[in-house]
Amino acid sequence: MEPRSVAFRREREGQWFELELLVDKALRGGLRSLEPAELHRLPILYRVALSSLSVARRTAMDRALLSYLEALAARAYLAVYGARRSTRGALRRTLFATFPQRVRALLPELVLATGLVALGTIVAVALMASEPGWYDAFVDPALAGGRDPHASTETLRAALYGGGEQGEGLAFFASFLFVHNAGIGLLCFSLGFAAGIPTALLLFTNGLMLGAFIQLYAERGLLFELGGWLLPHGIPEIGAVILCGAAGLHLGRAVLLPGRRTVRSALAWAGRRGSTVVLGSILLFAIAGLVEGIFRQAVTDDLVRYALAAFNLAWFVPWLALAGRSEGAS
Amino acid sequence: MREDIHATVEIVGPEGVPLSFPRATLAERFVAFALDLVILVSSASLVLLLFLLAGLGVGSLAVVGVGLVFMFLIRHFYFIAFETHWHGSTPGKRLMNLRVVARDGAGLGTDAVVARNLMRDLEIFVPLAIVANPEQVFGPGPWWLLAPTVIWLSVMALMPLLSRDRSRLGDLVGGTRVVRIPIAELPPDEAARSSQPRQSRRADTLAFSVAQLSFYGERELETLAELMRKADQGKATDDDLRVVAQTIADKVGFDGPLPARRPARFLRAFYKAQRAHLERELLFGKRKASKFDEG
Repeated sequence: MEPRSVAFRREREGQWFELELLVDKALRGGLRSLEPAELHRLPILYRVALSSLSVARRTAMDRALLSYLEALAARAYLAVYGARRSTRGALRRTLFATFPQRVRALLPELVLATGLVALGTIVAVALMASEPGWYDAFVDPALAGGRDPHASTETLRAALYGGGEQGEGLAFFASFLFVHNAGIGLLCFSLGFAAGIPTALLLFTNGLMLGAFIQLYAERGLLFELGGWLLPHGIPEIGAVILCGAAGLHLGRAVLLPGRRTVRSALAWAGRRGSTVVLGSILLFAIAGLVEGIFRQAVTDDLVRYALAAFNLAWFVPWLALAGRSEGAS
Repeated sequence: MREDIHATVEIVGPEGVPLSFPRATLAERFVAFALDLVILVSSASLVLLLFLLAGLGVGSLAVVGVGLVFMFLIRHFYFIAFETHWHGSTPGKRLMNLRVVARDGAGLGTDAVVARNLMRDLEIFVPLAIVANPEQVFGPGPWWLLAPTVIWLSVMALMPLLSRDRSRLGDLVGGTRVVRIPIAELPPDEAARSSQPRQSRRADTLAFSVAQLSFYGERELETLAELMRKADQGKATDDDLRVVAQTIADKVGFDGPLPARRPARFLRAFYKAQRAHLERELLFGKRKASKFDEG
């Protein structure tokens, strides 16, 4: 009399060994290393292994067999589902459908993030109006570069037109700005884990800095000129900071108010959605860096600057507000 | 702190069958990360050096600027690029046989990979920068602001030690786990071989009664299988087998000279009969875990 599991194993062994070979190959060289015929066999054999595993768990009294099947199925899972394969047009879909969709899904956090920046701006403007000395508290002297309340109007005006970097220096300046700002954006997201508090602070202090500059130039009657200097790159850049901040606040909300889900699953959900938003924001930072480092330094005409600002607004807002509405949410 | 090296991670794939993976230990993950860090830092420095030299050679600052962007990309996208293109592994992980899997069992998406690696900056690089140069990171902040920041940052960095399942922050935010790729090895089935010598034409039957087979359970069966595997490899002597065979014969009440004269044959026959009996019982939903299990 033979145990049932002996026949069970004898009948299926061949398929298991075939799967083993395919999985070894796929784990070593990725799915791309498989021949078309093998690629076709892999999912079929994977399901065979899964059904063998389920049966063995319920009926087999051979632990060696069971642990083999457990390991084989786990290995095959890694080979089959190790990564979601990207399909044709994945980048286009991410940029023009998934990213804007996920941005729109963050609407409450976007409002809050925008409000925090605006609040910082208003507070700085109000405080500076009563006491210009506040400026030093809001703006890091290293970043101000001599633009402070003690500077003459001429110096301030000169800072708006031609920052001194010429020719070759522009590209370096652009990449420096990109690296610096994108770094802040990434921090805005990851800091959100601490209940969103550091992110909120970061957004608020960015608003303070913005407000301090605005009031500094407004006092001297240079607001229009400042607008031309600030808006062309400010639209993608401040937009990107707000987007990253919103993603960070979303993380914070998952920690504080997970709702019906566990904190764990709410966090993973928020993290995955937020990461797409942050990835898109890095692109925005790159655009802003190029505009700030090259265009703004090279073009000193106020009207041309405003024209670019208008142009930036014209693609930025419709992109985020409208793109991907017709495609299914993902 | 001791870590359970046999801890498992259970993932339910799209087919609905729960799969169990060995959980990667902190030591393994640390080694993998250290390897990746070496590759990352050396490649980033190499790129910067090349661009610096090229910039000096051409006399252009723009080239250095491009190098700066490359450094940023390497620092933030090294892990992301590898984990998306190498099925959830990096050079370090590959060397240690580790893989990242999605906790929900669906395929590992790019968004999960990005999320888990965006947090890495905060877990590793920010604390390192603070340890290296606190003045520069914090500036002149008041202590009541610094103290909570430091505590909070250390909690985040030490998350793998604090969390129940040894997840780091990035794994929580990405909804991922790090597992070790299991090794699948199938030893020959002890019950598939005849208990008779090769030349013998006699049927492979030693009759055991149901009463005799009702004494032992799954645990004893498995111990017996291991003993026979050892005997196959020459790690157990005939005397070892004889002792076990005699004990079993006494316990289940098997009379005759066979256990003493041909212990290997007796044990194999008993194993086959015992396993067939337990599997048959299992079909009726009765499981006997060990001889102490009354069912």
